[in-house]
Amino acid sequence: MYAIEVNGLSKNFKVKIKEKGFKGSLKSIIKPEYKTIRAVDNISFAVEEGEILAFIGPNGAGKSTTIKMLTGILYPQSGGVSVLGIDPTKKRKQLAYNIGTVFGQKEQLWTHLTPYDNFKFFGAIYDLSAKEVEFRIDELRTTFELDEFINIPVRNLSLGQRIRCEIVASLIHKPKVLFLDEPTIGLDPVVKENVRKLIKQMNKELNTTIFLTSHDIGDIEKLCKRIIIVNQGQIVLDDSMENIKYHYLNKKIVEIKLKEEVEWPVEEGITIIKSKGCNAKLEVDTTVKKISDAIKWIDADNIEDITISNVPLEKIITEIYKNVEMRT
Amino acid sequence: MRKYAVIYKATLMENMQYALNIALGFISYFMMIFVFINLWDYIYSDSSQLIAGYNKEQMIWYIIITEMIWFGTRSATITREVANDIKSGQIAYGINKPYHYTFYILAKYFGEISIRLILYISLAVIVGVSFVGGLSNFRILYLPAIIVVLILGIIINAILKLSISLISFWIEDSNPFQWLYDKLILVIGTIFPVEIFPRWAQPIIRCTPIYVVVYGPAKLIVDFSMEMFFRVLATQLIYLGIAIVIMLFLYKKGVKKVNVNGG
Amino acid sequence: MLMAAKNQFRVCFLSIKYNIMREMINKVTFLTNIFFMMLNNGTFIVQWLLLFQIKEDIGGYTLDQVMLLWGLAACTYGLSHVLFQKAFELPELIINGKLDSFLVQPKNVLLSVITSATNSSAIGDVLYGFVIMCVFSFSFGRLGLFILFSITGAIIITAFSVLVGSLSFWIVRGEMFGTNLTNILISFATYPDGIFKGAVKFILYILIPVGMTNYLPVHIMTNFNPLFMLTVLGYMVMLVIVALYVFYKGLKRYSSSSLMVARM
Repeated sequence: MYAIEVNGLSKNFKVKIKEKGFKGSLKSIIKPEYKTIRAVDNISFAVEEGEILAFIGPNGAGKSTTIKMLTGILYPQSGGVSVLGIDPTKKRKQLAYNIGTVFGQKEQLWTHLTPYDNFKFFGAIYDLSAKEVEFRIDELRTTFELDEFINIPVRNLSLGQRIRCEIVASLIHKPKVLFLDEPTIGLDPVVKENVRKLIKQMNKELNTTIFLTSHDIGDIEKLCKRIIIVNQGQIVLDDSMENIKYHYLNKKIVEIKLKEEVEWPVEEGITIIKSKGCNAKLEVDTTVKKISDAIKWIDADNIEDITISNVPLEKIITEIYKNVEMRT
Repeated sequence: MRKYAVIYKATLMENMQYALNIALGFISYFMMIFVFINLWDYIYSDSSQLIAGYNKEQMIWYIIITEMIWFGTRSATITREVANDIKSGQIAYGINKPYHYTFYILAKYFGEISIRLILYISLAVIVGVSFVGGLSNFRILYLPAIIVVLILGIIINAILKLSISLISFWIEDSNPFQWLYDKLILVIGTIFPVEIFPRWAQPIIRCTPIYVVVYGPAKLIVDFSMEMFFRVLATQLIYLGIAIVIMLFLYKKGVKKVNVNGG
Repeated sequence: MLMAAKNQFRVCFLSIKYNIMREMINKVTFLTNIFFMMLNNGTFIVQWLLLFQIKEDIGGYTLDQVMLLWGLAACTYGLSHVLFQKAFELPELIINGKLDSFLVQPKNVLLSVITSATNSSAIGDVLYGFVIMCVFSFSFGRLGLFILFSITGAIIITAFSVLVGSLSFWIVRGEMFGTNLTNILISFATYPDGIFKGAVKFILYILIPVGMTNYLPVHIMTNFNPLFMLTVLGYMVMLVIVALYVFYKGLKRYSSSSLMVARM
């Protein structure tokens, strides 16, 4: 059984169009004009149990809208959703017992209470008995190293500590699927790393299915084995991380710094991205030309510095976003 | 003087857009008046009866006018915003600008309330004429005098409220004082004319800002007399002088305190 | 079923407790808020003392009855705002997409939402209500009824507010409409119903439920009438059902914060 199954899911929003200025405001009151936006447009996919999936796309692509339909926050226009075999539109409460959610920009903790009291509150929400909660908090505080600050009011915690508590709070009821909407937004690199470790650990130890949206390439690269890219409400790519890398890895970036200026070669398989005086950045398509052939023409004595690297994932993704925009 | 005119104009334009919000605020005003129309209707057994020297029309018109002043002139600019400026130290930035902070605030305040006040005045006239009928003692001739008194009352009210906000230089929260002043105007000054109070209380009430801010203008509209006009005007001028002195004094003292503490 | 209700109740109770704890962090502000609200309500006694000097009965009420009406109005308003503050801010939550975190909890959405904040000065209203009731018209029987009607009244105001607030699911400017209706309810609640006539009276009893929250209960407390009592209770149940229906109907149209993203 799949943990998440989505079939032909769509959602439209009606947006009021407002012209600029006072006249525009007046007009929008008297005779409002609407525009329909297809936020999510006929999306289908499935997620295996225990999988970590990155669900990414540019702003306004429909990521959040999809996640919100999966968790029962929004009603779909059409199409079917099944999370752990439960339809969110029909059995919202039952679903809620089995999933956890962390929305990076929205805090669900009471800031004047300590994490400990917060966890007890969430325990009550999920109908855990006092003893169960106690046991669960004990378990989580050691796993996620909360001892230092479990008894300090949340408002006095650092952002990193807070987000850690947010995630732990969403785990109190041992959810089988965890939805993370930009969990590392606004965090410093060290904390980001910690959060990623925590997510990975959860997936490994509890076999929790993780559905992640993020703009942070690091999150995706370090955590996910599979990526779904959406743009303008549609899935533009659904593939494993390995395939994506393999597909794009036959391109290498060569950055060269020479002692003396030379004529840059014009050959098949080599694209000059940037060149200025003694410096150049080349892209080599290794299916056409071997990397060794590509740099053979340079006199080794003339080289001041050389770097050969893979195309960064960030660029791959930007590329995919762009391609879609060109198509439409 | 020109710079204050520019501040006034800018705020005025900004507030044009809130016309709709103002219109919705009308509902609260209208309901208040509606309740009192019913209340006085019940209390007056017939229209010739006089209560404290007022007939029914005058009594209802009185509250239509005082509530109009109350609803039409409320704004956080002279209260909460000034207190926040002081508490946050924001006021320090205003000190070295080429204008006087208190007059800047007042210009901004009047820019804010002008449109609203005019709308409320029109509403008050419509509500009054259609639900109560015209005032038999009212003459167009009195209008200039009434406008002077009305505007002076609003200015005095603004300066007093601003002065109360300036107390924030010394105490944590000036709101309770603001609140006491509002209660004084609203409960004692807005609902009833001074004459309804027991004889011993009347001279005391006449000495409070109620007399110059709400009672004076409202009384002149419902029952004008030249003698009354000059009495109110004289009192207002005295009040205005004192209020400005208090405001400037508080500001000068307060700013010094900020400078000493370094904001 | 019973277990679920018990768990639901436990969460609501915790929520309200934590809300009040949050308000109490700054003790001085907390106590001043309560004190000034009581003082605020107290100033209106002056108004009524003066009015009753002019005429002995106003709208068929004596001074004691008007005070009872005032006390009940303060208590119903206060109780509903202490327990269900967010019911009165529902349009803001709907328009700005702030219901998300309640929708992912396995509890009743509406109850979780409306119990998620409190209003500390409303505690002053509740206290004032009881003080006024005890000073002007105390008897044990009446106190019992007063408590009962404070609760039914609070539930009716809350349900009414949820009902008009839920209109924001359909109308974007619904918030102004809703806040105004609730304000109207409050401004009528402290004046005797006898001063109103005809259609207005009908509106006050049916459309704006101030008749059911305040007028009828005061009549029952002065002159007990079981039929009136059933009317109040029946009206309450009916209004709660309608409010729930409209809220859940609207929830299907809830757009979270997606609209805001789309607007950019």
